[in-house]
Amino acid sequence: MLFNSLEFFIFLPIVFVIYWFVANKGIKLQNVFIVLASYVFYGWWDWRFLSLIAFSTVVDYSIGLILKNEKKDKTRKLLLWLSLLVNLGFLGFFKYYNFFADSFVEAFSFFGHQINGRSLNIILPVGISFYTFQTLSYTIDVYKRKLQPTSDFMAFAAFVCFFPQLVAGPIERATNLLPQFFKKRKFTHEKAIDGLRQVAWGLFKKIVIADNCAKYANLIFDGYQEYNTGTLILGAFFFAFQIYGDFSGYSDIAIGISRLFGFDLKQNFAFPYFSRDIAEFWRRWHISLSTWFRDYLYIPLGGSRGGTAMKVRNTFIIFVVSGFWHGANWTFIVWGALNALYFLPLLLTNKNRVNTNLVAEGKWLPSLKESFQIILTFVLTLIAWIFFRAKSVSMGFDYVIGIFSFKSLQKLTIDYEASILYLLLFFILIEWIGRQSKYAIERITILPRYFRWSFYFGLVILMFVFTGEQQQFIYFQF
Amino acid sequence: MKKFIKEIVFFLIIGLVIGEIIARFFFLTPTIPESQIDRFGIQKYIPNQAGYWKGGLHKWQINEKGWPGKLPESFDNLVTIIGDSFIENFENPEECHQMDYLKKALAKYNYTEASRSGVSFIEALEISKQLDSLNPKVQLIYINETDFSESVLQIKRLPNITQMDLDNNLITYGKMKAPGLKKVLYSWKLAFYLYRRFQPSLAQIKPAKSNVKPNQSISDNFNHFEKLIGYARKNYNLEKIVIVLRPDTNKEFREFLKLHVLNVIQLDNSEDDNWSFEHDYHWTCYGHERASLQVVEYLKKL
Repeated sequence: MLFNSLEFFIFLPIVFVIYWFVANKGIKLQNVFIVLASYVFYGWWDWRFLSLIAFSTVVDYSIGLILKNEKKDKTRKLLLWLSLLVNLGFLGFFKYYNFFADSFVEAFSFFGHQINGRSLNIILPVGISFYTFQTLSYTIDVYKRKLQPTSDFMAFAAFVCFFPQLVAGPIERATNLLPQFFKKRKFTHEKAIDGLRQVAWGLFKKIVIADNCAKYANLIFDGYQEYNTGTLILGAFFFAFQIYGDFSGYSDIAIGISRLFGFDLKQNFAFPYFSRDIAEFWRRWHISLSTWFRDYLYIPLGGSRGGTAMKVRNTFIIFVVSGFWHGANWTFIVWGALNALYFLPLLLTNKNRVNTNLVAEGKWLPSLKESFQIILTFVLTLIAWIFFRAKSVSMGFDYVIGIFSFKSLQKLTIDYEASILYLLLFFILIEWIGRQSKYAIERITILPRYFRWSFYFGLVILMFVFTGEQQQFIYFQF
Repeated sequence: MKKFIKEIVFFLIIGLVIGEIIARFFFLTPTIPESQIDRFGIQKYIPNQAGYWKGGLHKWQINEKGWPGKLPESFDNLVTIIGDSFIENFENPEECHQMDYLKKALAKYNYTEASRSGVSFIEALEISKQLDSLNPKVQLIYINETDFSESVLQIKRLPNITQMDLDNNLITYGKMKAPGLKKVLYSWKLAFYLYRRFQPSLAQIKPAKSNVKPNQSISDNFNHFEKLIGYARKNYNLEKIVIVLRPDTNKEFREFLKLHVLNVIQLDNSEDDNWSFEHDYHWTCYGHERASLQVVEYLKKL
């Protein structure tokens, strides 16, 4: 079920009313209801894959309980490996089997050996990368004794399949979300209104910004050989805002809906396009995934504690794996490697934690230096996004070459409505004003009611008038 | 919770009012004409209605006979144009109707249109029977092969479409589908807009069921079509009827019609396939003009 669909607009109020008025007799009943609602939400897409979620839930719940009483390190390690094997096994099969099979065949044919590889017609279960990482965080934390395993199966099942963030995150840590299923949820007016406000902003990002940018980004990327330098830059620019509006919009909706049900999820995006260097960008973009890789991969590998070679190795591993997490295509690996290349100079010169404060804090505008840094960082991410969006690595390179070969200036340009640029300007302005908050319009509460309501209606009107062609959320495929 | 619900309801009421104003002001949805079923069982529009197409770019009108478009100045030397949504042509301004292009290209005839979206072949024949009273020289029926399949009850029962029950040699007239609900939806512009905007998401997730079963070819239905044509020969004036097939019509089907000695014009856009809108398969003004020029070539030979 898509958040921006008619079905969901019917589903949400029904679930809300039952949750607060019927299932409010106790936490257990509410948790059972969350599991049921989440399974309906997910099963609406394809009920067959519910079995995968259910199986992962049972496996990780059972391993958690066994780990609780197990003292022997060897057995504990074995149990952890079992959980990794099951969860990553599913992920590997559904997401990466064809990639490895095809790459294997291509590698052999490159060296002159022809072998027969067999690609399978596999459907990628929506959100598998997200819920797999979420359940893994539980087992790893229990293994490391950072978290007490739960014996409450329903609470654990609800944690794994909680519908607002089941298919596209934020990837919640068991340490943050699981305890919330043990506590009585209290409805507060302020929290619910704040949640709805965040949902509205998320919908605006998705419906108006992302879907409208998608129209032009798709047009330009699909016929990139035909377009001139300026148009190719515009294509990358539109895609940068498409993916940001799409994914951060989804996160806002997920966090907002969770607040309606009395849950607090972690912030997933913190205005990444206002970053002054790549290190800051990665502290602000898809925070739940970056911190997941930091805590469960980068730090166990030694982090930045060792020598230069180790730092370089670990940085490359974390970025390449992060790229690979997004999809079974070399384009994502190049995207990850490119970000590692951007990041390394900062790490090696110990400048990766220079910009940890808010940009232009307490000021209306950034300084000249900050403006230059923001633009440079944005341009670097723009180049990386080209590979993320490209269908193949060679297409990515051709696109970049197309931008820098000014011979193509005679080539075609596209007709686009100027309104999209005004909308983007409005969007960037609101994001800039609200950059100190968890989401752009969080602090609108300090303004009088008539202004707030006019602003909300304005958003709704913009959603109606500038509604783009409905697109599925990009991150569903990951 | 009470305060929350109160605020939400209040917000929604204001939102609905503002939304309705916006939807009407910006013409976010086209005006849909009200329809009725006449005493012969034919579904047509209530006469003398007018409305705007999406965006308010142009106006449409229903004439006093209950069909979209205007009536000719005279019914002498008449050519009738019968069809579905392509002829209904709400997407284009009034001057882009087939009758206007045909009149421009071949002025010796007068033209009148009788169309409604979803018309089946058998319903088009029923309409032609009604129009026979005007003593037309030619009756042009613009259809394609699905309008034939939809005409046969034995292929698939479609209660809202006029069909032929071949086993009993009986016409079952189409019934209006949820007319009350449609009336509310079409009058409540915001609701109609939301329905149109979000309804396709259902289709995105679950592909629409096709009438044609897997591995089923159009020729599988030819025995039904033969019976249908046999019935048509006995009950309608096929001498005057010319079937105008759209460019995308199945070749096998076209040959089948010719084999059964029906008058057929096969429209051809192979050299210039720019006939339709970008996001809508209906013809643009240009498409209508191109189609009319090919029909004129046929009419000139009469």
